[in-house]
Amino acid sequence: MNQSPDSPASQKTKRLWLFGLFLFLILALFLLNLALGSVRIPLKDIWGILVGKEGVRESWVYIVQNSRLPRVLTAALAGIALSAAGLQMQTMFRNPLADPFILGINSGASLGVAIAILGSGFVGGLFLPALNLRGEFSLVLAASAGAGLVLALILLVGRWVQNPTTLLILGLMFGHATSAVVSLLVYFSAPERIQAYSIWSFGSFSGVNWTQLKVMSLVILAGVGLMALLPKGLNALLLGEDYARTMGLNVGLLRFTILLSASVLSGAVTAFCGPIGFIGVAVPHIARNLFKTSNHKILIPAIILIGAAVSMAASLIAQLPGSQLVLPINVVTSLFGAPFVVWVILKRKRGATSFNV
Amino acid sequence: MLQTSALTIGYKNGGKTPRVVANQLNLQLSAGEFVCLVGPNGVGKSTLLRTVIGLQPKLAGEIQLSGRILATYHPRELANQVSVVLTTPISVGAMRVDELVAMGRFPFTGMFDRMTDHDWDVVHETLRVVGVENLSHRYIHTLSDGERQKVMIARALAQEPRLLVLDEPTAYLDLPGRVVVMDLLHDLAGGNDKAVLTSTHDLDLALRHADRIWLMDDSGQISQGAPEDLVLNGSFAQIFNRAGVRFDPLSGSFDTQHRGSKPVFLEGQGPEAIWTRRALVRAGYHVEEEKLPAFPSVSVITKNGTTTWQLEHEGQAVTFGSIYELLQELRN
Repeated sequence: MNQSPDSPASQKTKRLWLFGLFLFLILALFLLNLALGSVRIPLKDIWGILVGKEGVRESWVYIVQNSRLPRVLTAALAGIALSAAGLQMQTMFRNPLADPFILGINSGASLGVAIAILGSGFVGGLFLPALNLRGEFSLVLAASAGAGLVLALILLVGRWVQNPTTLLILGLMFGHATSAVVSLLVYFSAPERIQAYSIWSFGSFSGVNWTQLKVMSLVILAGVGLMALLPKGLNALLLGEDYARTMGLNVGLLRFTILLSASVLSGAVTAFCGPIGFIGVAVPHIARNLFKTSNHKILIPAIILIGAAVSMAASLIAQLPGSQLVLPINVVTSLFGAPFVVWVILKRKRGATSFNV
Repeated sequence: MLQTSALTIGYKNGGKTPRVVANQLNLQLSAGEFVCLVGPNGVGKSTLLRTVIGLQPKLAGEIQLSGRILATYHPRELANQVSVVLTTPISVGAMRVDELVAMGRFPFTGMFDRMTDHDWDVVHETLRVVGVENLSHRYIHTLSDGERQKVMIARALAQEPRLLVLDEPTAYLDLPGRVVVMDLLHDLAGGNDKAVLTSTHDLDLALRHADRIWLMDDSGQISQGAPEDLVLNGSFAQIFNRAGVRFDPLSGSFDTQHRGSKPVFLEGQGPEAIWTRRALVRAGYHVEEEKLPAFPSVSVITKNGTTTWQLEHEGQAVTFGSIYELLQELRN
C-alpha cells in the first residue's frame, strides 16, 4: 500500500525516454542554431553544407562553417562544462544554490583574465579579438589559475569552517575582493582594453574560432572525464564526508579531484566565453527534478545532455533570429535563470525531489 | 574484537595544549556482544565513538581492532570491518531505499560501483533482516524517522561489518521506535561474530538490552560491566543522582526527587494500586504504611472487572470511577 507509484522498472523506462527526448532536442537545437540568425538558411542547405555538397550559396557556407558551427559547438561544450562544475559543487558543499559563480570561483577566473587583458597593457602582447596561440593558452591558464586559486582558498578555509552557510559567505567575500582588484585594473586601463574586458564579461559563444575550440574541447573533455570517474564518490558525499570515509573512500583525494575538475571546467568556460551565470546552478536542479533522483550515476549523463540543450537554447535566443541584434549570453541566461533560481528556493520543501541541505 | 589501552581522546587544539575529553580508557568489546555507551550529555560519547572508528585521531594510547592496531588499517580494509550509523540527520535528496542501502556495498564494488548479483542479494537480505523490505522502492524523504533509521542501519549492515557502531540511533524516535531499534541491535549482535556498539540516552532500554555497558561520567571515566553489575555496585546511582533525579535500583528507572509531604494511606492490589500510588505521589502525597484517622485513606476496589476508588476522610466516604476524579477531589 505504501509502494511508490514509480517502480524501478517504470522509472527506468521513463528515464530512457527522457534521455531520448534530450538527444532529439539537442539535434533540433543544433540544426536551428545553424539555420537561424541574422540570415535564415534553409535546413536542406544546412545539410548540404554539413556533408560538403556542391552548389550551396558561398556566403551561407562561410557563415555556417566559420560562425554558426563553432558557435553552437562552443555553446554545447560550455553548457556541459558549467553544469558539470555546478553539480559537483552542489554535491560537495551539500548546498542547492552552490555553483562556481556563487563561490567566487568564476570571479577568480575573471581576475585571471582581467590581469591577462588589462594587465597586458603594461606587459603588451595580449588582446582578446586578436589572440595568437600563446594567447589562447595563457588565457585558459590565467582563468584556470584564478579559478583554482579561489576554490583552493575556499577548501582550505573549509577545513576549519564546517558550516556551509559560512563557507558560502566566505565565497561571496572572495568574489567581492577579486572584483575590487578587477575594478582597480579597470580604473587604470586604456578605454579599448576596458571595452574588450567588459564585452568578455557579458559572455559570448561567438568569439571562439576553430583552433580555440580544439583547445577548449580538450580541456572540457578532461574535466568531464575526471567527473565521470566520480559517481560513486559523489553519491557517498551525499551522506556526508564522515560516511564516505567509513565506506573506505579516500575523501581527501575525492575532494581534490572534484576541485580539479570543477576549476578546470569553469576556468575553461570563463576563459573562452566569459563568466556565464545560472546554467551551472539551474541544470543540476532540472536534472534532479526531471529524473527524480540524486544518484550521480544517472545525474552525470543527464546534466551533460540537459546542459548542452539549455546552453544551445540560450545561444539560439541570444541570436534573436530574424534581427541583426545579438544579445550577450549572460542577459539571456540571467533573464531565464534568475526566476528559475527563485522558483527553486520557493519550491524547496524538506526532502523534496530537489537536493536539500 | 575492539580493545583500547590507556586511550586518550579529545581534540588537537592547533599548536596549543589539546583539549582532553577522557584519558586512561581501557575498554573491551567482544564478538557477539551488544555494548551500550551511556552517560550524561556532553561527556564525550560521540568523541569516543568517532575515535574508535578512526574518524578522529586519538591523542594517546592504543586502539586494537581484531587484534590489529587501528591506524594500520587501510580505509577500505577498515570499511570491511566497521560500519557506522552517525547521529547527524542525512539529506540525500531524491534517493530510493534500495539505492541508499546499496551504498553499503561501496567497499566491495569497483571504482564505477558495478553491483553484482551477490551485492544485490546482500542488499535485499539486509533489508529483510532489518524488516524494511516493503520499503525498498520508497524515496528516503517519504519515510518516517523510525523507518529512515532502520534503513540507515540496513545500509551499515550491507557493508557486512564485524563491528557495527551507532551514535544515538534512537535520538529522533518515539518510544515504540526506540524499543524496536534496540531489539534489532541486540538481535544483530547475538550469535555469530558480529558485535554492536551504540551510544544512547535511553537508560531503561540500555539496561534491558545491553550485554555490556560502558558508563561514562563527567570526568571521562568509564565503568564497564553487565548492566546489572553497574546497578548493584552503585555506579548508575552515582553518575545519574543529580539534583532532582534519582535512580531507583528496585525498578531500574529514574524518579523525580520531589517527595510528597501530605500523608495518605493506600489500600489495594495489582496494577491499579501501583498506578494509583504514582498518581498520589505526583499530586504531592506521601503514601504512609499505617492507616490513621488523621489523614485520608484511599481504597482501590476491583469488583466484576470494574475498578472504583473509595476515599475516606473525616468520617466521610466518597467513591470515584477514575483516578482523575479522585485526584480532583483530593485537590479541593
